[in-house]
Amino acid sequence: MRAPSRLLGAAIGAALALSLSGCGSSAPEGTGQVKLTLWHNSADPAPLLEMYRKFEKQSGHKIELVSIPSDGFEETTQTKWATGDRPDILEYHATVSGLLALNPAENLRDLTGEAYIARSGDLYEAAGSVNGRVYAAITGFPQVFGLYYNKKVFTAAGLTPPSNFTELAAACPKLKAAGVTPVFESGGSIWPVQILPILYLAGANQSNAYGKAIASHSSTLADAGSPFVAGLTAYAKLKADGCFNKDIVTAKFEDSMKALVTGKAAMVAQHSDMLPALLAAAGGDQKTVDESVGFVGLSSAKPLATYAPGPIGTFYLPKTGDAAREKASLDFVRFMTGPAYAEYITASKTFPVFKDVPDPQGVSSVLQDVKKAYDTGAVISFNSDIPGMGGLAQLMSELIAGQKDPQKAATQLQGQVEQAAKAAGLPGW
Amino acid sequence: MVMRNRVAWLPWALPAIVLVTVFFVAPFLLNVRFAFSSWTSFRAEITWNGLENVRTLIDQDLLANAVTVTVLYAILCMAIQNTVSLSLALALQRTSRINTVFRSAFFLPTLISPLAAGYIWRGLLAPDGAVNSFLGIEWAWLGEPSTALVVVAFIDAWKWSGLITLVYIAGLNSIPKSLLESATVDGAGSWTRFRRVVFPMLAPALTFNVAVTLVGALSAYDVIAATTGGGPGDHTRALNVVMRQQWGQGFFGSASALGFTVTLLVIATAVPLVWWLRRREVTG
Repeated sequence: MRAPSRLLGAAIGAALALSLSGCGSSAPEGTGQVKLTLWHNSADPAPLLEMYRKFEKQSGHKIELVSIPSDGFEETTQTKWATGDRPDILEYHATVSGLLALNPAENLRDLTGEAYIARSGDLYEAAGSVNGRVYAAITGFPQVFGLYYNKKVFTAAGLTPPSNFTELAAACPKLKAAGVTPVFESGGSIWPVQILPILYLAGANQSNAYGKAIASHSSTLADAGSPFVAGLTAYAKLKADGCFNKDIVTAKFEDSMKALVTGKAAMVAQHSDMLPALLAAAGGDQKTVDESVGFVGLSSAKPLATYAPGPIGTFYLPKTGDAAREKASLDFVRFMTGPAYAEYITASKTFPVFKDVPDPQGVSSVLQDVKKAYDTGAVISFNSDIPGMGGLAQLMSELIAGQKDPQKAATQLQGQVEQAAKAAGLPGW
Repeated sequence: MVMRNRVAWLPWALPAIVLVTVFFVAPFLLNVRFAFSSWTSFRAEITWNGLENVRTLIDQDLLANAVTVTVLYAILCMAIQNTVSLSLALALQRTSRINTVFRSAFFLPTLISPLAAGYIWRGLLAPDGAVNSFLGIEWAWLGEPSTALVVVAFIDAWKWSGLITLVYIAGLNSIPKSLLESATVDGAGSWTRFRRVVFPMLAPALTFNVAVTLVGALSAYDVIAATTGGGPGDHTRALNVVMRQQWGQGFFGSASALGFTVTLLVIATAVPLVWWLRRREVTG
């Protein structure tokens, strides 16, 4: 009886030792190779995942991917982050508001001075940096927000895609008369319903003027006649005029992509990182997407697109205190922003953020539309620098349900901004 | 001898005491501290801030609605689950091959993850889903403010009724047959037998089931998150849903305050309820 017990004890001990050794990060001793944990967005496209594999091959380090679902990405990341768990590399939003919520000075490594920053133009003036210190390595082209529209539906209705909210409102009854849903909104996914009000505000946010005014507390969202209240009011009017789908509350963003591709809906307000979802809705047929879908920017009065640096391909290096892993993770950033970057751009057929890397060939027509909208004076999303704006989507749900009017929603959101701004210790609060 | 008897239970209870202390009491006490703190993701320092988190939640119209939704949801879940389960238990009480099949069928949803159950029902209840196709109507069951909370409570009932039914069946089978036969001999009809004999004798099962369903629903999150995400508007935004949203925005102190509120609500509801039901078991 004793022998089996001893054997069992030894086996358990060995298993425990093995599992504990697996918890550590170091790979075979003396090789200088380590295991890096990378929390990444589940929507990372295949070419980006391929880059991770190329880094492994080139460096000999191992990357353990921890996938964070793109639905609820911010909440899930924050939840993991709050436990004190830290990856070696974090893929996350480059917006200042997203960065502030990570408490960068305390938790992230300062990448100021890295070579890629000088090659990125003025990108880091609006993103990935706080108090003059750069924490992000942005490799993904900014998310460009605007209206995807179905070309065939617009042609059949004898309309051109709207370039401002007045034209959008005017197109609604004509599109409804043609038997299609003018704008497909997906409240079941919660976050997409905040896009239209953000688009509306592009006109007021040139040079990020409105966002800076709110972040510095020189204006509030709830000021009488504020652009924000006007944006919510315009949205509420579109809803009252029947511009949206009947299942606005329950529909998911995948439904919106499908409705757009099939021509059941004329327009969807979304951003450019949703192109893979659009392609998936078309059964992976790029030709169908190119033939049927176009993209335009619009704001309250002008044809302006909105952009925000997105999470896909934006990397941070959390402080871990492990010198070998910290060196390897910095190598990762240098790899992603180094010579291999051009290969990634070619493979992904997306646009580069570095001036010395040429645009790829064979870009889809809808992505060309996106680039055109970006190049013709796109404005940074007004909420990029404002902490505490995470509640906007929830408040939009209440606005859609008729529980809150625009002014009340603005007042409530201002309270959340105040809560976050004070916590972040922003000047002016 | 007396002393030995008094402590004889200790070794048996010790594992349970340790588990409850580590996984319930300690987190609860730690959470109480954070509920009154300035803990956020925006800065490292955590300081005592009194009732500031509660004030913030009230100012932002979050707390009162969340408490109302949670209590309403809990009452609905408790009422639906106990009504459905008691009816099922009465129908399936006798052990037979066919009843065993039905008992297993009704128990199956208990084994499904609540999130999976929520996603399944969200698909079935979609405006273009199977339920509407079968009924030949177009209704956003989970998107209409008038039906969303009740529908989610029904989904929760579907998920858990199998388990509650088994407890009622066990309770029914523990009633002495002689009592029922005596009542029949005395001329009691089936309704009178149920009202005067069966229901009072089911008191222990009722205590357990009412307490479990009510307390479980006060802590609701998963089914709501999978079906409505708290919508439409804030019509199904229970305390734990708001807690998750606050947490996701980095307001950990406010989230802890909401967690503490759930605990208080459970204690304030469960303790008097169980006390009253236990008393009813003795006097009833």
